[in-house]
This record gives sequence, structure tokens and C-alpha cells, in this order.
Amino acid sequence: MSLLRNLARRRLRTALTVTGITIGIWALVVFGSMANKISAIVAIGSDYYAGKIVVTDKSGGLDGDSPMAIALVDDIAAIGGVAAAVPGVSTLLDPASNSGISMPDMVVGALPGADHGKNMYDARVAQGRALTAEDADSLVAVLGSDLARKLGKGVGDTVEIRGMAFEVVGILEPTLTAPDTTAIVPLAAAQAIYLGDLPPVVRENVRADQLATDITVYPDAGTDVEALAARIEAAIPNASAMTGAEFDGVVGSSVAIFNAIIVGVALISLIVGGLSVINTMAMSVAERTREIGIKRAIGGSRARVIRELVSEAGLIGLLGGLLGLGLGAVVVYLANEAGRGSGMALFLLTPQTAIFAVLFSTILGVVAGIIPAWSAARLDPVAALRYE
Amino acid sequence: MAVIEGRNLRKTYTLSRRNEVRALRGVDVSIEAGELVAIMGPSGSGKSTLMHLIGLLHSPDQDHGPAPELSLGGRDATRMSDGARTRIRAREMGFVFQQFNLVPTLTAVENVMLAGEYAGLGRRQARERAIARLTTVGLAERATHRPSELSGGEQQRVAIARALVNDPALVLADEPTGNLDSHRSAELLGLIRKLNREHGQTFVLVTHDAEVGAACDRIIRMRDGLVQAMELVREPTPDDVGEAAA
Repeated sequence: MSLLRNLARRRLRTALTVTGITIGIWALVVFGSMANKISAIVAIGSDYYAGKIVVTDKSGGLDGDSPMAIALVDDIAAIGGVAAAVPGVSTLLDPASNSGISMPDMVVGALPGADHGKNMYDARVAQGRALTAEDADSLVAVLGSDLARKLGKGVGDTVEIRGMAFEVVGILEPTLTAPDTTAIVPLAAAQAIYLGDLPPVVRENVRADQLATDITVYPDAGTDVEALAARIEAAIPNASAMTGAEFDGVVGSSVAIFNAIIVGVALISLIVGGLSVINTMAMSVAERTREIGIKRAIGGSRARVIRELVSEAGLIGLLGGLLGLGLGAVVVYLANEAGRGSGMALFLLTPQTAIFAVLFSTILGVVAGIIPAWSAARLDPVAALRYE
Repeated sequence: MAVIEGRNLRKTYTLSRRNEVRALRGVDVSIEAGELVAIMGPSGSGKSTLMHLIGLLHSPDQDHGPAPELSLGGRDATRMSDGARTRIRAREMGFVFQQFNLVPTLTAVENVMLAGEYAGLGRRQARERAIARLTTVGLAERATHRPSELSGGEQQRVAIARALVNDPALVLADEPTGNLDSHRSAELLGLIRKLNREHGQTFVLVTHDAEVGAACDRIIRMRDGLVQAMELVREPTPDDVGEAAA
């Protein structure tokens, strides 16, 4: 209680110091949540790519949706070490509303069962069911969680995609990343949609059922995946074969940059917050010199003086940490809610981040409090008593 | 029996490289149990310094003269660690200072409890004793007031209650009446006399107030860092000694 009274003695100063820490911890929480989100995306991507090779046409754009001939599936399947090769089509759900930075809504055409059970990645269905081989010629769709929410559709509803009416048969569980904004439809339906995206010159010369945008290759057990990817790239003109290791390498570097930003924010808040706590506590010690002299004179030990001041500094840190976490959580929540509609939930506040932020600021306060507390404990009680 | 025995007590303060103050130049002093002693003298005579040595707030100088001796109930205090001196201050001594003597954020009873807790009492026991001491000094009904809500005289009575909370053998007071008007000052002095007579506690008062000196058993007069004279104001009556022993 007397700790709080000491803090309340100079309300404005305490409030300003707490605010300084709050801002630092707020930034730590917000950036940390962003990093968590990115790690989650990377982890799911990494899961997705694990144990498979995704072959795309490298002459195409960044979205990887340039057309490949479905006949390549047989060519790839003939390469040694390939257990199964499955064509897929993915294209934008609505080309008119491609929002630059966020993950765009996608339509993905799938051929259920064609992987012969080799696909280890599985997006679980929350409601309804997944697509099956029997759906091949139907207009049915499984929606990602965010997409279902955005369209306001549930199982049994009809959703219109590019002028075609699909019956929603399932909704996926949230994965916090790409599948959340994806509609999975049978391959044939996706091929038809994709055909419409192609330039008229190309469109006239191909049939929808010959199209794919990617071919997923499942290697035989024991096959060297990297070597197989190299063989595929050598055998198929213009093919780009992405393996799990390659994916990890590509995204790993951008994740590293982001982590460096987090460390930078943490360091800055450490320095600014630490200095302001040292300043505040040093001023408190100066103001309370007489009081510290009295306490020492009537038998208060050095350890006790240090303990009191360090607890006070720790409390400042704890308050700043809790406030920063609270404000950070509010911002993360509001930003996610605002972005949810466009499939742009950018933040993920995990319990670990929250606990780390509060612990970090408390320890920061304690460590910063040690220096002024130590000098207070070293005061000569007699000189301190005479201090005016 | 002597509560404090000091010999060859010297203290030099270095204010800067060329400015040294020889506050005590070799003082012998002995304080008997149950005594009420005044240390008097003009400013700069070394009276406060002597009190700081007796109160273990400072240690006597070891150099430039015969080895100092300072014993407290038989224990050598000349080379005690800060921790050991702090413990003795907490458990065996009580202190009253001139002004701003109390912790401003704590109530009267919490200020008194503080000394009890420093001496190792639990919170409940410290509170009980603190209330008992505040009752002794006649401030029980002001126990939950902060120092800023108390008059100067009341604040000094809280300080005395704090000094008494651990039943110390020795109470040291530096100019306890320095900030009080003559009426309050006489009241406080009466309280000290009463405690000294009734509880046999030893009081050492540093003062330049002749009335305070006149109320004591003995006056140690200081001048220029030396004891100039010892004056017996009045003989302790056999009655006093009996009570002191009790």
C-alpha cells in the first residue's frame, strides 16, 4: 500500500513514466502480434509444402496462375520418384477487387482423391463436409472461414462465383492464413472460371479441361525431394518446382527481417523506458533523501531501502506493461475486426507475447530501479537527515 | 552501569580537499543507565557529532591519535559493520530528530510501526505496540492522521512514540524542542522526564535550550570539539535508581 502512496505522491511524473513504458510495450505487443501472424502463415505454408513439390509455369505472373497444359501431369508422373502428380487450378475469386497487400480471395480447384492419400496437409472442415471424388461434376464449394463470414454464407446456402451458383457444402476451420479466404471447388468448375480469365487469343485455342495452374507432385517414399525437383525442372520446359525447403528458405529471410524489427522495437522501448524509470526513481530518491535518512537512522537496513525503491520501480514497469498490453490488445482486436471483412486479419496476439510483454516491462522497471536504489542505500544517514 | 562508554572519540569531516572540520578532537564520555543527559554547546561545538557516534550513525576516526574506544553494553562498536550498527539502532536505540522527522506518506501509527518492523516485529505486534506508545504520548486518537495533519508538537510526540516502540535502553534526541514554542517545548520535556522516571529509559538530548538542560540530571558541555565541563544538575534520588533497575 505504501508503494502505491509513494507513486501517488508525484502523480504526473509517475503517469508520464508509466505512459512512456506503455507506449514501448504497446509497440512491442502490436509488432509482436504482427510477427506472430506472419510466423503462423509461414508455419502453415511450411506444413503445406512439406513432403511435396509444387510445379508452376515460371513464365507466368507473380500469382502463379499462368496456364499449364494438364498433359504435363502425365509427363511428370513418368519421372522416376514421382508417386502421384495432381493438377490444380487457383485463380482470383473476383479479379475486380484485388486488394494489394492482403491475401486475396481465391478460388481453388481440387481433384479429391487424386493424390492417393499422399497429401499430409489437411485443412479441417468445421461444418458440413469436404469435397469428394463424387463432386467432380457438381457446382459445390467448401469455403474458408473468413470468406464464409464475409459472404455471410453457411452450409446449404448458395454462393455465386463469377456468375455460377455453387452450393456451399462445407466451411473450413480457421487456419489464420490463406485457406481462410479460399473457396475450394471441383477442378472442372475452377477450370471453367479460369478459362474466362485468359486473354481471348489464348482462350480460343484451349479447352477448359486441359488447363491447370499448378501441379502438385508427391514423391515416392525415400526419394530425395530436392533432386526430384531438379529433375522435374530439367524435364519440363518453363517449370518451376518449389519444395518445402525452398519455401522455408524464401520466406525465412523475410521473417528474419520482421523479427529484427521486433527486436529493434523491444530494444528502443528498453532504452527509453529504462532511462525514464531511472530518471523518475533518481528524482524520487533526491526528493526523499531526508526520509531515507530517517529510515536508515531508526534502523532500516540498506537491503530494505533498496527493496522498497526497486519494488516501486518494478510497479511502474508492471503498470506500464499492463496498460501497454491492454492498449495493444485493443488495437490488435480493432485492426483485425476492421480487416476481417477484406480477409486482412494482420495480427495474432498470443498468450506468450502478452506474458512476455508484461514480464519484460516489469523486469525493465526493476533493473532500472536498482541503480537509484543502490545510491539511496549508500547515502550517509546523517548527511541525508540534514539534506534540505 | 554504563550504557555507553566512549574514549578518545575523534571525528574529522572532509568537506573538500583543503577544508576539514575537526568536529570532535578527543572526547571521553560515559552515559549511565537510567540517566537523562543533555549535551549542550554552541553551534559547531561537536554536540551533534558526539550524538551520531553514540547512536552508531558514524564511526569514530581511527587515525591521528590514540585508538578510540566505544562500547555499548560491553560490545566494541568502533569497527562494527554497517549492518551490525543498523541492527543495534533498530533494536536497542530510539531516535528523535529536530524536524521532518516522520515519513510523510505514512500515518502516525504506521510511522511508529515502521521502527517496530525494522526491529523484527510482525505487523500485528508492531501495530499493537505502536498504538500502545501513541496512547502513552497522548495521541491515540490521532493515530490515523498523516504528519501533514498534525501540529509540530504532535509530530514530535509521534517521533517519541516511534523511538519508544522497541523499549530501547537508549533514546537519542537531536534538538527535539528546536521547532516548538515554549509551551509545547515544556510539554514535550515533561513527557520525556516522565518516561525517564517511570520506565527508567536512558535519554541523551542534544540541545542548546537552557531550559531543556535544566530539566536533565546532567549536562555535558561541549566547546570546539572537546568536553568543556560536566555539570550535575541534580543527584539521582535513590527512588530514581530503584525505578531504573525495575
